Amino acid sequence: MLSAEEWRILGTSLGVAGRAVIFSLPIAIAFAYALSRPRFPGKPVLDVVAHLPLVLPPVLIGYLLLQGFGRRSAIGGWLENEFGAKLAFTAEGAALATAVMAFPLMVRAIRLSFEAADGGLFEAASVLRAGPWDRFLSIALPLAWPGVLAGAVTAFAAGLGEFGAVITFAGSKAGETETLPLAIYAALQVPGKEALALRLASISLLAAVAGLVAAELIQRWARRRLEA
Amino acid sequence: MSLVVAGAVVRRGAFTLNAEFEAPAQGITVVFGPSGAGKSMLLSMVAGLHKLEAGKVSLGGRVLEDVAARERVPAHRRGIGLVFQDARLFPHLTVRGNLLYAERRRPADRNTPIIDDVAEQLDIVGLLDRAVKNLSGGEKSRVALARAILSAPELLLLDEPFAALDGKRRRAFLAMLRDVSARVSLPMMVVTHQIEDAAELADHVVALKDGRVIAHGTASGVMRRQEFVALLDRRDLGSRIDSSAVAGGKAGGVWVRADSVILATEPPKGLSARNVWPGHIASIHTEDDGSKLVSLATEAGYISSRITPEALAELGLKEGAQVWAVVKTHSL
Repeated sequence: MLSAEEWRILGTSLGVAGRAVIFSLPIAIAFAYALSRPRFPGKPVLDVVAHLPLVLPPVLIGYLLLQGFGRRSAIGGWLENEFGAKLAFTAEGAALATAVMAFPLMVRAIRLSFEAADGGLFEAASVLRAGPWDRFLSIALPLAWPGVLAGAVTAFAAGLGEFGAVITFAGSKAGETETLPLAIYAALQVPGKEALALRLASISLLAAVAGLVAAELIQRWARRRLEA
Repeated sequence: MSLVVAGAVVRRGAFTLNAEFEAPAQGITVVFGPSGAGKSMLLSMVAGLHKLEAGKVSLGGRVLEDVAARERVPAHRRGIGLVFQDARLFPHLTVRGNLLYAERRRPADRNTPIIDDVAEQLDIVGLLDRAVKNLSGGEKSRVALARAILSAPELLLLDEPFAALDGKRRRAFLAMLRDVSARVSLPMMVVTHQIEDAAELADHVVALKDGRVIAHGTASGVMRRQEFVALLDRRDLGSRIDSSAVAGGKAGGVWVRADSVILATEPPKGLSARNVWPGHIASIHTEDDGSKLVSLATEAGYISSRITPEALAELGLKEGAQVWAVVKTHSL
């Protein structure tokens, strides 16, 4: 059904979005849990940081990543010298850019499910000798995991289509960083490739819709399971 | 060992609780008072779910919280259990999962009781593998109690755990509480606003009104005090009698309402009532509506009877006169 080229592009997109979700999920969970707690010092700052990628232009995110992790930057240079790790213009870089862009989506979905948990259950756990970490692992996370999963799936679906930050920080190398939107854009620049662009656009649309439907189904199933 | 609350102040919104009392950490202490008196808040405070603004709380000499000394043991390190009014079972776990949650977290040196025993005692063996959402209100209460017992606390606080239960089940739950407290020698502090429950359960009483402790001490002592009686509804007026004085009575006490006591000037004969106490009239009080509240000194303690002024005149009752108090066992 799909040509070798299309498989390669889809594969690149899935790989980049998958790694982006895996890397950022633990951090997103930590942010979301912190933001779901009652007031604490620094909460507004944390809130702003978590939502920044939502309002900044994606190209600016890519530019900031280049400044921070490019080969000539302090962190980028150190990473390359110490570990031989390159981020700029690599698949890992594309995953990092995608992770940053999808981060607010994940934090919002996960935070909502942490906030939906009945605070009385935490009190019940603490009088059964469960400390703060224990309560997080044994009550908060199990109750919120459908939201965590839904957030991850939504972020994954969105990550398949990340354009600006990826092209700025990771370029568009076939088989490495050329994801679906980059390939669509490239195909549109070349006369006679409209058919390819249309097919890639269809794949992109299907993947995004599938992601949203999956996230919704997970949420519904979880509600049925927990509601009395 | 005892629970000592000294000069404790807790605030939530516009409500302030000022607590000062000492209660022995054995048997059952009832926290009694009308709605909004601060009973639940008192339990939250002792459990460590509510921070003190001032004062000190200690249990058996161990300081739990001392504002002046900036000391505070968090709730999970207090070893104090709390059964909430709304049970608060964990919805992502089965009944057994809820019980194991408590069992796995108790310290190794308090390695009793075991789930099977408690489940049997509280009649929840058949529920163990059920999902929490499929339980009735009464079942939830029993599972919540079982979970708290399995956590092996040094003191168990209960916030009207029987509020969801009706007549017969409620009495059974109360009897079970007494039984459990005695069998696993677990001191309890139980909140209620029902005078019958208070009389039945209490070895000790802490009475609250408008965020203040107005009386505390033994049940037999506190429950006949003027300030305690003042908390009661007119139709609840009466007196506490030790269960041992009642035909077919068990441990604890019973509340005898003044309205359910009949007076006789001669030893009654041919009566179906099982409880007849001879005594002398200690005082006669006229209520606002003209009813007469007659207080008798009997061998079972003081008993009040509410009668009409006509009955008082007809029987020629006077202070010091000998009378017999008749109470139907059913109303005990």
